[in-house]
Amino acid sequence: MTDVAFDVVVVGAGRAGVAAAYKLADEGFEVALVERAKQPGMKNVTGGVLYGSILDDLVPEFPEEAPLERHVVEHNIKLLHGDAEVSIGYRDLELREEPNYTLILGKFDRWFVDRAVEKGVTFLSETTVQDVTQEESRAVVHTDRENGDIACDAVIGADGVNTTVGRKTGIQRTMRNEDMALSVKKVIDVGRKTIDQRFNLDSDEGAAYIYTGFPQGAATIGYFIYTFDEYISVGAVGGLETLRWLGDEGYGETGTPLYSLLEDFMELDNVRPYVQGDAVEEYQGILVPEHSYDTLPDRHDRRVALVGDAAGLVLNKGYTFRGLDYGIKSGLVAAEAVMECAEDGDWDAFGRRYDTSLEDSYVLQDMKQHRHLPKFLKNERMYDAYPGIATETLRRMYSAETDASGLTWRQAYRAFRRSDAGVLDLLKDGYRGLRSL
Amino acid sequence: MSVQDDLETVEWDVSEDAHITVDNEQCITCEDKPCLHLCPAECFDYQEDQEGGIYFAYEPCVECGACMVFCANDPDKGAVSWSKAEGGKGVEFDFG
Repeated sequence: MTDVAFDVVVVGAGRAGVAAAYKLADEGFEVALVERAKQPGMKNVTGGVLYGSILDDLVPEFPEEAPLERHVVEHNIKLLHGDAEVSIGYRDLELREEPNYTLILGKFDRWFVDRAVEKGVTFLSETTVQDVTQEESRAVVHTDRENGDIACDAVIGADGVNTTVGRKTGIQRTMRNEDMALSVKKVIDVGRKTIDQRFNLDSDEGAAYIYTGFPQGAATIGYFIYTFDEYISVGAVGGLETLRWLGDEGYGETGTPLYSLLEDFMELDNVRPYVQGDAVEEYQGILVPEHSYDTLPDRHDRRVALVGDAAGLVLNKGYTFRGLDYGIKSGLVAAEAVMECAEDGDWDAFGRRYDTSLEDSYVLQDMKQHRHLPKFLKNERMYDAYPGIATETLRRMYSAETDASGLTWRQAYRAFRRSDAGVLDLLKDGYRGLRSL
Repeated sequence: MSVQDDLETVEWDVSEDAHITVDNEQCITCEDKPCLHLCPAECFDYQEDQEGGIYFAYEPCVECGACMVFCANDPDKGAVSWSKAEGGKGVEFDFG
């Protein structure tokens, strides 16, 4: 039998779940926020920047009060090609006007949950959800606590990429290798001063680095470096299906461990100066959803809505990862759907209302606009031929060893003719690139 | 550094009950054994005397879910049975 009842149960205290719970408690709803970790953030891992304007309305004071790491004012994309690296750096003091920050979730999520509890949210830690059932006039969240069934009008599944809510309710289809990327990450204690010097930053400023092209031609393998207050994080991301077959280190003489790729990446002459330091504070692993708009899994049933990573709301734009703000926005949209259902009592419409509003929100509009990007980023020429053309062109421009006569466009054309890419490929990829952005 | 050195930096409150189990019979016909290189915590180890060659330890699991996708969800494999660790147990990240 069910022992307790709430208006809404939110499963998972990541940013998406906490944003939903916070908003609902603020509106006077009885909300239970169920989390399996001892402390918020202990099960949570990110490799992204918080594009923070999404929190402006909900917690306007967050830039002053939240435990944020560094204010991101610089972004770098680096294409590796053999000994060379071609990079695009973007630094803009106007970015100071935008609340974009690096985060350590162990600190941020704890703060966010504390704020939600102040608003009246009931926080249940050390509680793992095992099943969710929908009955005639309510939903029930079954937990591993004794007498741990919780009845409610609606359930918000914010339980991450491996969502129990999505799997047990049958909302989400079975995930396969093609749907998921693996990420491993190291957090290294470098010290504030060294970070400022190494990355050319004032001490509250932060920088983000995205790398591709290593190993040469390996599509969907990328790396990142983020600066925190005292630490840096350096990580690798790769599609599971790519990692399964890339190289020959695996048992079946196919495959490469992602942690080996990260080690090799960190040893590259171009990378080592940024990431050196023996004081690894923590090693982490996480799955990252890799859907395009057209392959997004289902995210709702009658009384259940999936938000954040549980709904696959992550987009690798090639030059940055979006997900932290998508999660928060989807949580807020779910909270608004709850409010709508409380108004007219039609709780069976909860999931559908959430889904419709999410479709109109900037999260799915953004993913829709970039619907061809995930496929575009799987194109091997992006990781081999094109960085090669750029490298050869620049080498001819800057190296005294090569004949630098002739116009730059002619050098670029010669480099292109020597590459494996054909004119048709270039035209097609150029068109696809423009279309996907 | 090896991944084993990196795993020294991670903390766990290990449960008495395994949240992931492996049915070794299914490993016998698995030819490429992707678990050996795709698990980021090296929970799977090749040991010749084990059925199907796989020794599995749930204790150092970082709870990423990769083995659910590449093994449990693969109709040709399916040795892994996957669930989330019991409340308050398992990996404990400080710097996620």
